[in-house]
Amino acid sequence: MKSTLVITTVGIFALNSKGSIIERKFFSKDPKKAADRYRQLRKGEIVPELSQLLKELQKNNYDELLIEDRILASKISKIKDFNCKEFNESSVIQKFREKLDVTTVKLGRFSDRQDFQDFTSKVTLAIAEEAITSETQKKDLHAIQAIRTLDDLDKTLNLFSGRVREWYGLHFPELEKLVDKHETYARLVSDLGDRENYKIDKLESEGIPEQKVKLISEKAENSIGYSANSSDLETLQSLSKNTIQLFKLRNATEEFLEELMKKIAPNLTAILGPLMSARIISIAGSLERLAMMPSSTLQVLGAEKALFRSLKTGSRPPKHGIIFQHQALHTAPKWQRGKIARVLASKLSIAARIDSFGGEFIGDQLVEYIEKRILEIQKKYPSAPKVKKRYGRSRGSRT
Amino acid sequence: MVEVEVHEHDIFPNVFLVKTRGQEKLATRNMVPGTSVYGEELVQHNDIEYRIWDPYRSKLAAAIKKGLHELPIKQGERILYLGAASGTTVSHVSDIAGNTGEVYAVEFSQRSMRDLIEKVCRNRSNVRPILADARVPAEYRLLVRIVDSVYSDVAQPNQANLFSDNADVYLKEKGRAIIVIKSRSIDVTQRPTDIFKKEIKILENCGFHVSEVIRLEPFDKDHAMITLGR
Ligand SMILES: C[S@@+](CC[C@H](N)C(=O)[O-])C[C@H]1O[C@@H](n2cnc3c(N)ncnc32)[C@H](O)[C@@H]1O
Repeated sequence: MKSTLVITTVGIFALNSKGSIIERKFFSKDPKKAADRYRQLRKGEIVPELSQLLKELQKNNYDELLIEDRILASKISKIKDFNCKEFNESSVIQKFREKLDVTTVKLGRFSDRQDFQDFTSKVTLAIAEEAITSETQKKDLHAIQAIRTLDDLDKTLNLFSGRVREWYGLHFPELEKLVDKHETYARLVSDLGDRENYKIDKLESEGIPEQKVKLISEKAENSIGYSANSSDLETLQSLSKNTIQLFKLRNATEEFLEELMKKIAPNLTAILGPLMSARIISIAGSLERLAMMPSSTLQVLGAEKALFRSLKTGSRPPKHGIIFQHQALHTAPKWQRGKIARVLASKLSIAARIDSFGGEFIGDQLVEYIEKRILEIQKKYPSAPKVKKRYGRSRGSRT
Repeated sequence: MVEVEVHEHDIFPNVFLVKTRGQEKLATRNMVPGTSVYGEELVQHNDIEYRIWDPYRSKLAAAIKKGLHELPIKQGERILYLGAASGTTVSHVSDIAGNTGEVYAVEFSQRSMRDLIEKVCRNRSNVRPILADARVPAEYRLLVRIVDSVYSDVAQPNQANLFSDNADVYLKEKGRAIIVIKSRSIDVTQRPTDIFKKEIKILENCGFHVSEVIRLEPFDKDHAMITLGR
């Protein structure tokens, strides 16, 4: 039978198709504890109240469940006997929520409507309090670790993917040119192994695009590679499998970082995107240190080598460091870059300060301003300036 | 003793006019007597304490001063307040809504939220702080009930859409709303009236009727306030 699960700040309710309660589990009457439950559920944890409720439902043959949360839906589906789907059409839920005060008073949980209001108000306050303390505690250090992990993973993945390709190339050299994506390549090796297994249906179920399926299977049949027996391939397949796991870890890390950056540095992220923002914080050492930097330092952050070189040899100082990776900069013609870099750095510096000191979000405005200034620069300096003396070189002889 | 005279506002219950030393000022009845939220003046009259409501500090007060005709915020009602900041205006909205009302105060800056909690929510149980991004209304669906009105002051370029997305989820059928819109854009070449028109157009396309547009000069040069409903 079907049931809809509704999570509220007072507890979890299971409703039948008519919207009446079949089971319920209240959270603690301590607002702090109820707030904890809310937070755990939002993270997709199956809290004790939920698992008790599920047991009751199981006993009564409710096996098809609907819930408003994607993560919880997939977690519940993993439990034997349940099929749980995410549910967005919320009219049943909404009606139920609107009557929650009356309902819970009737159930004897609260003495009257005011009692209900007082409790839910305290829970909401506790949720917000928890959110500001947990979010402000040195989260930038986590972002720094995450971006470094991401870089490590990318290096490792390149190394392993290259190894997988080279090794498997002994057996099926033609595949190298046919599959560009490292992840897909590793998956084929891990799932299919011997090139004899590259049949149309198998390739299709690996999600290879139609046009390629035929080509790959033909090449597999006529491959010039050495034949291999299963023991030859075992270790290689295991390497491929682990490489795929690392790809998954990489993607999860990136997702984590994106979420985190939006929270801890929304303004910086609006301008640079999550990854580059994390990288620039990583180079500065912390968000606070980034915020303290003058924008001229920020502009060349990440170009320390070039900066030292210029100090030592008198070559031209760098105009931009890591911010060069910003789309607007590296697509700009050379003579505009210094000017654009200056605009970018000055707004980044404002963004970093607001983020560090917890001010409001003005990211959209900053982006708008930057775009406008870039347009002006493009209009004002449409072509390369007349050749100037490259003073840097000649001065170099002095040192 | 200074002479103090207090009248309720002609059309807005729970909004007061306090006259001292020949000056008439807006005020609300202090829900937490003895505490001032952001340094505003407290005035006693017949055993009731009022908080002076400064139109230079709060755009809603400015709009009332400039002759707003309709105040969607009423005693005992539920209000969704987007862009609560540290609670200057929220605190007066809380006074007006009273103990039986509920103000859902959404703000995504942590610093502002901290102030909001400390200065406003700790002693006003009718204000519920929600740390969330108002661009994603679903984020707080477990915390907010259907509301009688929405007050939106997020100071974002996409504010019309942000408001409408929230209204779709939380505003009751015949609900009313107030939005603060920027009259001066970063783009100085655009005239204020053009900017209003653009915003109003977006709102109308989302199915709203704008009933008034109030410029806030001289209290605030950058913004205007509009009231609307479905
Ligand atoms: C102009 S202030 C509001 C002032 C407040 N209404 C008052 O009168 O006291 C705008 C606020 O909206 C917040 N804000 C901007 N975008 C937001 C978003 N997407 N979600 C939540 N809050 C936002 C900002 O952090 C800022 O505190």
